[in-house]
Parts: sequence; structure tokens; C-alpha cells
Amino acid sequence: MTAPLVFEDVPLNQRARTACTLAVPAHRTVAVLGDEASGVDRLGGYVLGLEAPPAGRVLVFDTDVASLSEDDRLAFRRRVGYLPAGDGLLQNLTLRDNIALPLRFGSTGSPREIDGRVNIMVAALRLGGAADWRPAQANEEECRRAALARAVAFDPGLLVLEQPFDGVTARVAGELLEVARGGETAAGARRAILITGQEIPIVVQRRCDRVYRLTRAGSLELETV
Amino acid sequence: MARWLSLLGALARFSFGGARAALRLPRAGQDVVARVTLNQIRFTAVHAIGLVVLLSGILSFLVISQAVRELGQFGATELIGTLMVIVIVRELGPLFTALALVGRSGTAIAAELATNTVMGEVRALQGMGIDPRQYLVLPRFIGALASMFALLVLFDVVAIAAGFAAAAINGMTGSRYAEIVLRSLTARDVLLTVAKALALGVIVGVVPSYFGLSVRRAATDVPVAVSRATVASIVGVFLCSASFVLLG
Repeated sequence: MTAPLVFEDVPLNQRARTACTLAVPAHRTVAVLGDEASGVDRLGGYVLGLEAPPAGRVLVFDTDVASLSEDDRLAFRRRVGYLPAGDGLLQNLTLRDNIALPLRFGSTGSPREIDGRVNIMVAALRLGGAADWRPAQANEEECRRAALARAVAFDPGLLVLEQPFDGVTARVAGELLEVARGGETAAGARRAILITGQEIPIVVQRRCDRVYRLTRAGSLELETV
Repeated sequence: MARWLSLLGALARFSFGGARAALRLPRAGQDVVARVTLNQIRFTAVHAIGLVVLLSGILSFLVISQAVRELGQFGATELIGTLMVIVIVRELGPLFTALALVGRSGTAIAAELATNTVMGEVRALQGMGIDPRQYLVLPRFIGALASMFALLVLFDVVAIAAGFAAAAINGMTGSRYAEIVLRSLTARDVLLTVAKALALGVIVGVVPSYFGLSVRRAATDVPVAVSRATVASIVGVFLCSASFVLLG
């Protein structure tokens, strides 16, 4: 079985002398860390086809996302959960409506089914009463929880998390990662996960199957935790 | 000149892309868009009723008061009908309504969409498989179009009523006023006013959305986008009004 996500000969930043190949296998959690100048913040955009890589291919579920038409790319993105840097919650919607938005827009479920799914997500992320607040009224941790709930709303097989643990404690980060993994199977986590960011807590690094450091020169170095 | 032409091209591309996105709106997304559109109409039309009534009432009252007095001296009160229909209903009504919408809602649309972009919300929408043109632009476009039309009707009704009050205060009977105004009002005037409302509604909906979504990811771009959107919308409104005069 091929990996749900493969970067094939992709230069990971503008200074990269060599192109990198990186796979996120099924049931595995892979973290790529690096400072701002390393270009680590672009990886999520490559996976979702928000930006095209300068060379090489990014294969998601064996599909080269960059080669898809605009319409197909939009539909394809619903198969991948995405938590953007800074959470990207819509400020004029409550956290509950933020979680429901992708379901309301992209699923064929009835309003009752969608509400049921959202209630499950709200309970799983322990949002409680904060679910009816707008992002500006909630604290950073609650916003992270809501953004993760929104990312897993479609129960995707692959999850891309950009700086997902900024502003939360190591304990909460560990809890969020467990929700992101979606439970355990005999082969590992239910979902394949790519985490990108500048730094993640040690407790999360220990739960990752691979942690890479992206250097400013554009090369990937495997980290030992 | 080249800059304005290039802007015109970009606006045309943006509008075309938006129209294509609207046609591809998934069934499930239609309910969401309808809800956002109603909210937009509430903000753009319902909340602007007071402002439009005030502008229309004062404008019409002043113009008709002066006209009855001045034209009455020459026995030319018949011209009040032409004045009401051509100057207020056909020309100033759409112009004032559009300017009120640009000032009130156009700036808000540009600021909101620019903030959405800067805060990463637009990128998040794209990442979730939602076309921002469908979720953000389409409801604002429909909202602006519907609001412009509804507010223009309101403007004209209030203008005629205020003109009636002004005429009565200056000694003209109600039946005489109604007769003069109705005689001057033709089907062509109504059609031109409707066409103008739709054209100006497109400007109020499209131009601020374009500038709002064209910012980069810096907070300092937000006021620049709002300022450019306002200027471009006002210029667009005047050019559009002028082109209608040339057409007919």
C-alpha cells in the first residue's frame, strides 16, 4: 500500500540545493520542524494544492494535487483534514458553526445529521459551553480545539496540522494529538498525520513516528527524540 | 490610464471567475450561501433604511420647495414633474443610494474580506475545499444587488412623498402635484432606473470584494484596500451614471 502523502523530489525551500523525498505512511505521524526561514510553513500549502511546489510532485492518495483542475482540487481537499497556522477560524461564526461549516458546505448530510456530528466533535474536543462563543470570546486553547474539530469533521484519512500546538500546554498538546490520531488500530493511528511548525512539545515528539528538522539549506535531517 | 485599464481587466476577470464559481455552487452550499446572503441584506438594506429615508427626504424636500417657489414666479410649475422624475428619480436617486451603500457597506465589505485574508480565514476556507468566492463574495454580491434595488425603490417613494409635502407647504394642491409627477413619469424612466439600480448594485458588490480579497497577508494592507475600494467604487458609480445619461 502506498503512503497517503509523498513529497517526490520537491525542493523544500528556495535555497534548497537538493530536492527532498518524504513520505507520510498510513497510520503514521510525521513531524517536520524548522525555523521561519526554512520554508516549513509552505509544506501544508503544497499538500492541499494551495501553492504549487517549484519542482517535483506532491502525491496525496496517489494523486498529484497540483495537476488537478481548480474544481477537482476543491473537492479533493475535503479528503484531507487541515488545521492552518493561526487556526483560521471565521471570526463572525461561533466555534460550533466553524466546525459545522465544512460539513454544511461539502456534505450531503441533513441538518440533523450535521448537528449530531458537530455535537460529537464538541464533546470529543471538550469544548463544552465555549462552542457557542465566537473565536474572539474564546481563549487560544479553545480556538485550537475548535480548529482541530473542524479539521477532522469529515473524518479524513490524512491530516495536515500547521503549528497546531502554539499557545497550548504540553498536556493539552498531547490530548489534541490523540484526538487527531483518531484512535488506534493494530497498524497504528487511524489517520496519517503531517505536523509542520517551528517547535512542538517533547511529549508530542515522542508520540510521532518520525520527526524531521528542515534546515535553512533545505535538507531534511531525522531527529532523535 | 493604463493602471485604470488594468484594474478594469482585473475586475472583469474577478467577476467572470465569481460568476463561474456561482454556477458551480454545490447543492449543500446553497443553504449556507442563502443564510449568509440574508444576513448581508439585513446589514446592507435593512440597517440603511434610516439613512436612505433621511437623504431622500431632505434632498427631495429642498429641491421641490425651491422649485415650486422659483418656477411659480414664471408660471412654470409644470416643470416640477420633469424635475422630480428626471433629476431625482432617474439621476440623483440611484447616485445617492449607490454612494450611501458604498460609504456604508462597500467599505465594510472591503474591510471584512481584507481582514478575512490577513487572518488566514480565506486560506483556511480554501484548505477545507470551500471556494471563497462562493462563500464570501457571492452572498455580498447578491446582497448588494438586492439591497441597491430595494433601497432605490424606497428612495424614490420617499422622494415623491417628500416632494408632495414640500409642494403642499408651498401652496400647491396634492392632486395637482400628483397629476404633474405622474404625467412626467414614463415606463422608460422606470426601466432606466431599474437598469441603473442593477448596474450600480454590481459595482457596490464586486469592487469592494475584489479589493478586499486582493490584499497580501499584512494588517497594514487592510486600510489601503478599504481606501482603494472606496475610491474605485465612487469613480465606478459616477462613470456608470454618466454612461446611462449618454445611452439615453
